[in-house]
Amino acid sequence: MRLGFVVKPLARPELKSHDSRRWQNSPHLTVSLAYLRDVFGYLKSAGITMYRMSSDLAPYASHPDMPQFRNQVEESATELAELGGTARELGLRLSFHAVAATVINSPDPRVAANAATDLTVLAAILDGMGMGPESVVVTHIGGTYGSPQAARERCVHAIDALPPATRSRLVIENDDVRFGVRDALWVAERAGIPVVFDRLHYRLKGWDEIDEQEALHACLRTWPAGVRPKIHWSTPRTEWLVEDQGADAAPKARQTRWMYHSDYVNPFEFVDFLRAAARRDRSDRNPPTLPPFDIMLEARAKDLALAQLRRDLARYAPELADQLEPAAIP
Amino acid sequence: MTETPFDAPADAPALVAVLNDPDDLLRAQREGWYRIPLLHAPRRIGADFLALYQTAAFPPAERWAVRWVAAVRGYRLTTRRELIPEQADHPRAGDRYYRVDIGALWPLPRPIPSRRLRRITFIRTTLGRLLEAEEINDLWVQTTARERLWEAIQQAGMTDAVEREYPLLDDSPQAADFAVFDGGERLAVFVADAARDLDGCVRERAALDYPLARGGWRAVFVDPSEAGWIEGSLRAMRALRLNSPNT
Repeated sequence: MRLGFVVKPLARPELKSHDSRRWQNSPHLTVSLAYLRDVFGYLKSAGITMYRMSSDLAPYASHPDMPQFRNQVEESATELAELGGTARELGLRLSFHAVAATVINSPDPRVAANAATDLTVLAAILDGMGMGPESVVVTHIGGTYGSPQAARERCVHAIDALPPATRSRLVIENDDVRFGVRDALWVAERAGIPVVFDRLHYRLKGWDEIDEQEALHACLRTWPAGVRPKIHWSTPRTEWLVEDQGADAAPKARQTRWMYHSDYVNPFEFVDFLRAAARRDRSDRNPPTLPPFDIMLEARAKDLALAQLRRDLARYAPELADQLEPAAIP
Repeated sequence: MTETPFDAPADAPALVAVLNDPDDLLRAQREGWYRIPLLHAPRRIGADFLALYQTAAFPPAERWAVRWVAAVRGYRLTTRRELIPEQADHPRAGDRYYRVDIGALWPLPRPIPSRRLRRITFIRTTLGRLLEAEEINDLWVQTTARERLWEAIQQAGMTDAVEREYPLLDDSPQAADFAVFDGGERLAVFVADAARDLDGCVRERAALDYPLARGGWRAVFVDPSEAGWIEGSLRAMRALRLNSPNT
């Protein structure tokens, strides 16, 4: 079981995840790849083998009004192949998560076409790096637009229309407001793509439609044989949200929302979840059928949260710590 | 419209690279690129800006200083043969290089000299530091612990005897976090941090034995998690100077 984190390494704040300069300064994918090479060096030293890359790696590459940025992936073929070789040497599981603006089931053809371009660029980067099939591009079903059923069907059609190379990298994630696990499974079955189970989203949407462990197992079963599934894990933020009101006013505190991620992972909730999964597997089937899966941590403290969770597992659930890959930090 | 380098955020990452050959400065100015051999590339190469440190190969008025900065436009992997076709028979013609594509070179408002006329490889810094540095040692952006020790060294008035990130040997990539000089005496100070804890330092010690011994260094490893580590480090640095036969 690998643990991963998202984009920005907080233990090394000086490391950039991508070329974030504005279009006026001609940012480029090869500059992002140089930054990514530096991040990979950190991942190696920290013993982290799962990482979600920034979806802005190729700046403005899918911007409809900036054709000058469109060919970055092709222009960077040599550098992508080189860095991909490094990633494979390090045993890295890499992925992307499309941004919220990527709405593949939009009834507006321009929005849907832009979403398809976004996904195609991300998949092409993974292809250019020569990454295996467990390196995926995650997206959501999209909006409901007054008819969830029509929206789901539109999502299936949009996925069907993607280039095969893009479709083969795509996975659908259950969301926290509109489409739960049942919906994601419905789309995935028809589109022939896997589902990444997001545990916090499940607790917020669709929990009354399917049992948690059943949902986990159903999602894991959507992944092709030989490709290790992954899930997303986070725990909700419970602290006040404190907003600065300027120098002359007291900060304003307001209640959090459960969809916000906590800084660190609640280790006890994490342990209970994995133990319940293993227990259910043992009780239901002989031999057990729960496949090994990786876990992307969506915590605000990112790699610091990952490191803390490793320590917590070693202390509070050694049998789970024994399943971690790599087994020891170099 | 492209912004000048000086309009960019102060924390924009910058890489200071070495110019050992005036031809490389001409290539940077006329053709817009700088080369880094893949085999000897630093651990971190990503940067929004590239600045150039000129060595003894340049006229006296230009050498041992950082004078130029340019925006980075891209990193290309290529061979020396493709970079410099007129030297196609060079023994390293087939070696792989990063070609760092850069925009126009801009002169720094205030060149950054090296007081000790020292050799460097690469320096990770920021645009803000390039614009504010008075001496090359001001360029290093390091962990908070090392920054705190450098500030303490400055406050103690010891900067004339201390260098940061100093190579233990001319041909060795291993560097002391701080190097203290007095006459013929040399002290290498290594500071543990989050990325390299004290155990890591001690493990590295085995690899450092040879360059330390050959370069005539004494070594001190300090742990910022211990109370009084800054004072202890300064004491070790002062002791070197007190014990020096030249003092």
